[in-house]
Amino acid sequence: MITRRDFMVSGITATSVGIIVPPVFAKSVFAATIEDVHNDNVLVILQLGGGNDGLNTVIPHADPAYLQARPTIGIPADKVLPLNAEIGLNPVLPGMKKLFDAGEVAIVQGVGYPNPVYSHFEGLYIWEHADPSMQQTEGWLGKLLASQLDSQGHPLTGCALGQASTPSELLAQNATVSVIDSVPTYQVQGGAGRRVAAPALYKKTPGIYGALFDQALTTAEYGIAALADSQSRYTPSVNYTPQSTVYGSKNSLATSLQLTAEMIVTQPSVKICHVVLGGFDTHQDEDTRQNALLAYVDSAVSAFMQDIANHGMADRVVLMTWSEFGRRVVENGGKGTDHGAAAPIFVVGKPVKGGVFGEQPSLTKTVDSGNLQYNIDFRSVYQTLIRDWLKADPTAVLGASFPELPIIQTA
Amino acid sequence: MGSANLKLSRRQVLGVAAGGVVGAVGFRYLTLQLPGAGQRVASAAGAGGAWASPLGTSAGRAAHLLRRATFGYTAAELDSAASMSYPDLVDMVVNQQAQSLPRVADATDYQAVVRAWYEHMATTPAQFPERMTLFWHGLLTSDYRKAARLPFVVQQNELYRSTGRSDFRTLVNAVTFDPLMIRYLDLEESTAAAPNENYSRELMELFTLGVGNYTETDVREGARAFSGIRTVLVDANGQRIQPPKLKGSTPAAYAQALQQLIAQGATFKGVLARTQHDDGVKTFLGHTGNIDPAQALDIVLSQPACAAHIARMALVQFCTPVPSTSLIDSVATQFRNSNYDIKTLMRAIFTNEAFTSPDAYRSLVRGPADYMVATMRALNSPSLAAMCMRSGAAMDQILYDMPTVAGWPSNQGWVSSGAWLARLNFAAGVIASQRSFPDPVDAVHTQLDGVVGPDTASVFNASQSDGDRWYALLASPEFQLK
Repeated sequence: MITRRDFMVSGITATSVGIIVPPVFAKSVFAATIEDVHNDNVLVILQLGGGNDGLNTVIPHADPAYLQARPTIGIPADKVLPLNAEIGLNPVLPGMKKLFDAGEVAIVQGVGYPNPVYSHFEGLYIWEHADPSMQQTEGWLGKLLASQLDSQGHPLTGCALGQASTPSELLAQNATVSVIDSVPTYQVQGGAGRRVAAPALYKKTPGIYGALFDQALTTAEYGIAALADSQSRYTPSVNYTPQSTVYGSKNSLATSLQLTAEMIVTQPSVKICHVVLGGFDTHQDEDTRQNALLAYVDSAVSAFMQDIANHGMADRVVLMTWSEFGRRVVENGGKGTDHGAAAPIFVVGKPVKGGVFGEQPSLTKTVDSGNLQYNIDFRSVYQTLIRDWLKADPTAVLGASFPELPIIQTA
Repeated sequence: MGSANLKLSRRQVLGVAAGGVVGAVGFRYLTLQLPGAGQRVASAAGAGGAWASPLGTSAGRAAHLLRRATFGYTAAELDSAASMSYPDLVDMVVNQQAQSLPRVADATDYQAVVRAWYEHMATTPAQFPERMTLFWHGLLTSDYRKAARLPFVVQQNELYRSTGRSDFRTLVNAVTFDPLMIRYLDLEESTAAAPNENYSRELMELFTLGVGNYTETDVREGARAFSGIRTVLVDANGQRIQPPKLKGSTPAAYAQALQQLIAQGATFKGVLARTQHDDGVKTFLGHTGNIDPAQALDIVLSQPACAAHIARMALVQFCTPVPSTSLIDSVATQFRNSNYDIKTLMRAIFTNEAFTSPDAYRSLVRGPADYMVATMRALNSPSLAAMCMRSGAAMDQILYDMPTVAGWPSNQGWVSSGAWLARLNFAAGVIASQRSFPDPVDAVHTQLDGVVGPDTASVFNASQSDGDRWYALLASPEFQLK
């Protein structure tokens, strides 16, 4: 198993001098001046944790093998929201359908990589590090932040939102990441004295964690200053409906994406935002559970895109979904599906060139006894977004070149 | 700090000794000077150096062990521990007898259970069994949502407490038949006709062997071996009885009916339902036969990778963030040779020279629960349990609600800008909730070994009240480490 823990262990080993991360920012810049950032484009990463079932998300409704493989959880053709004669969306995705019809959704079919793994943690590692060989120790977005987006000068360039820990995708030796659960709680609480004392405790911490600790607090200190009046500059223009509840959980994705909109609207230095919705490991009761989760995705992403557009920033924002794997073609005995391989991903936003890209993998000519064969390497999507959207150099991040996809509109 | 008189306690003297003994570059020391008398807590040396290890002293080793094997200590507990020889102290800690979680009024109320657990972590004298309960919870994971309105969380929690220091074979067998695990990893849905792979995979990948030590075929064959495990309710005599029905009842009436059965001695337990179990021939990890769950677990435990996997997990939590291969091998060999005796495993870790080497000092990051319970214990204030329960989420740790089946991060994985703010804000909330405080200078010596960095010394010295001084201590980098 390669876990986040292994990643960090490698991180320590790599430096082996006792200092895990570099010293805190060389520059104490948190103003809106953007020195090294060449454009205003923002990439939002939406992680669907647990392995989203692609076959019940983008449904090959014309293929009889689909309902044969899924006698209880299959969605019949007359229920799907058709995209063309072959495929359609799960009926809980009307917002995504609307965006697709407006030409703002690229659906990339059959995304995966050679020799798929069926472990959550290996799958996560591969996607997070853009490396099926699992040799890389830095996250692909972390590398991008560190090498080309100047996150050390601008601690809000890379943001993990609606969460408490740094996603592995954003972890890299020289990447600074602001991890913000919510703006109201992203404060030093307890009064003026604490606001002085808290950062003062973390300036020159000794020991192997010293630089890491100090960087966390300094990042927070600058982020708090930058966000000080953000709520006077942003009001959500749509209803994100975070209060609806499924399985005892509110739609945390709506809350996270509203925070993402606030960050994008108020912070010019924001380039990469990461949000996550978990629960897609539907070994059982997939019919109800996945539908509930996809409905969250649908309402939250729709609201986010509308909100961004209402704030006049639709031209600046592209969102990409991913999940560590798709699921087995044939359902199991518990109205669920076990771990699988290739799956579709969504790339959403006004700058996107809409449509369906790539082929639906065969449901009958499978790999590893019943799993979908990929036909587009996930790094093709990464490369396209890095070069065509963020206008950065993908080879420095991916270490190799992959065929690009025509999913971003050219100006 | 009412008095300006300079009082040298034994612990303060130890603090001086700790700083004075180690002549390494960049060590920290604490001068024994009190605010109010023109005297200050001070620290020398520049950034980037190492902490001055006090592990050459018996008090330093005792505090180090208690920070790791337990949830911290009061000054009196440290005094008592420091008076023992280190091997005797290890024995005493490892042999502590577990104390059951006090009865929770509504055992189906997950929040009430977690709150009770926080309070128990803070108050039980059986600290090591409690720390091991948290360790196993982090490794053999679960999710309260799967318990629905059944008392499965408290039952699994009690299992790890009662069995978490026996032997790993007993523990992993019990977990395989534990009602919360049966639900969490979908054993309940697994039939001979359609075996569910979830438990089989995570058992090998996360709980026992690690990736690379089994194949996808082993996952599928293991799923067959584990098919048919079901949860039943039995009365005090072990006779199967029907649980109350939620349908047609109110949640309150249902909870009451369930509580009544439990009060009469009823428990949920996992059994192998033979009619649902695949009793065909399987080939699992190189063994062929009609393999049932217990045999499958024996096969797993016969793999050389198993002891090394558990040893590595335990070392990362209790000893060093980067255990060397030779350290893992040494601990794993002792563990396996003892037939997976967990006390042997932990004694092997605590008595290894890597545990008390200067490099080991402050080489682990306290997890959120660990940090919060250590705070309660340092202040002798278990009434903070409810605050702990509320505060974990922002630090990335909600008990019985892990981000994934792999459990929580460890060490540097806990560090982010948001999580660190949450820790400091917890300290602020704690200070605001307290009417009085133990002596903070004493606490610098007991809780921080008198080994403080320049920032902490400076903030501590600038503080105007005991509350401010305790904030500096609890929010300090030193207190986040162990």
